[in-house]
Amino acid sequence: MAESPARTAFAEEALTHLDTLYRGALRLTRDPDQAQDLVQEAYLRALRYQHSYQAGTNMKAWLFAIMRNLFWDRFKGTRKDDVSLDDVGDFVLFEKLRDEGARPEADVLDKIAASEVVSAVEKLPALHREVVLLVDVEGFSYKDAAQALGVPIGTVMSRLHRARQQLQRSLYDYAVESGIVRGSTNGATQQ
Amino acid sequence: MNCPDCKEKLDRYVDRELNNTEVLELQLHLEGCPDCTDQYEFQAHLKRLVKHSCDCDAAPAAFREKLRQILT
Repeated sequence: MAESPARTAFAEEALTHLDTLYRGALRLTRDPDQAQDLVQEAYLRALRYQHSYQAGTNMKAWLFAIMRNLFWDRFKGTRKDDVSLDDVGDFVLFEKLRDEGARPEADVLDKIAASEVVSAVEKLPALHREVVLLVDVEGFSYKDAAQALGVPIGTVMSRLHRARQQLQRSLYDYAVESGIVRGSTNGATQQ
Repeated sequence: MNCPDCKEKLDRYVDRELNNTEVLELQLHLEGCPDCTDQYEFQAHLKRLVKHSCDCDAAPAAFREKLRQILT
């Protein structure tokens, strides 16, 4: 059966955001097959609820919201396993490296492989990982990220702050383990 | 603006979330403060590193085509 032109046009526009959704799903599930299943289901649901999308608003954020809600419903079950980062102390990688006598950019950031950054992102709790994906990877504004995640802007900011701190701890630990920096006896994970 | 105020706003500056007045105040501080400038450049570099490390995965072509056939 031929699809309606309106549905086809909607689907074509939605597919322009496929890479964003796929990357997000890949980072959330950490599995290419599960990511494809998740994205396919998200697109089918988006078409089913096409009427709820308001033309002129941010379709990418709307699609991401559908995808991440499916992720939480189907792949996570409950959110109990999503540990909080609220109780981790402050960690500022720049200050840590400078205090240890390293040049933070030239000595450290330039030597960290992309695969290690991906690994550090994937180690973040999913609630924090998705904020990093939206704001740092896909360039969402706080407002659009808040829309996609269904939370207030203040929650986006606090999760992002905690996520970045945890990310910096992971990168510091990697830098010490791999010999990029000497490290101190008071390592990042002990703070 | 002093250094603690600047550092408190660096995340939002890097994310382009400050208003025009805040941007001007922060830039004025950065011009006279090498320490905060170094930290700003580090944070901006880290954000670029995260982006460039994570945004290279495009949806496989076969998957894109499969979706197109299902949806259109």
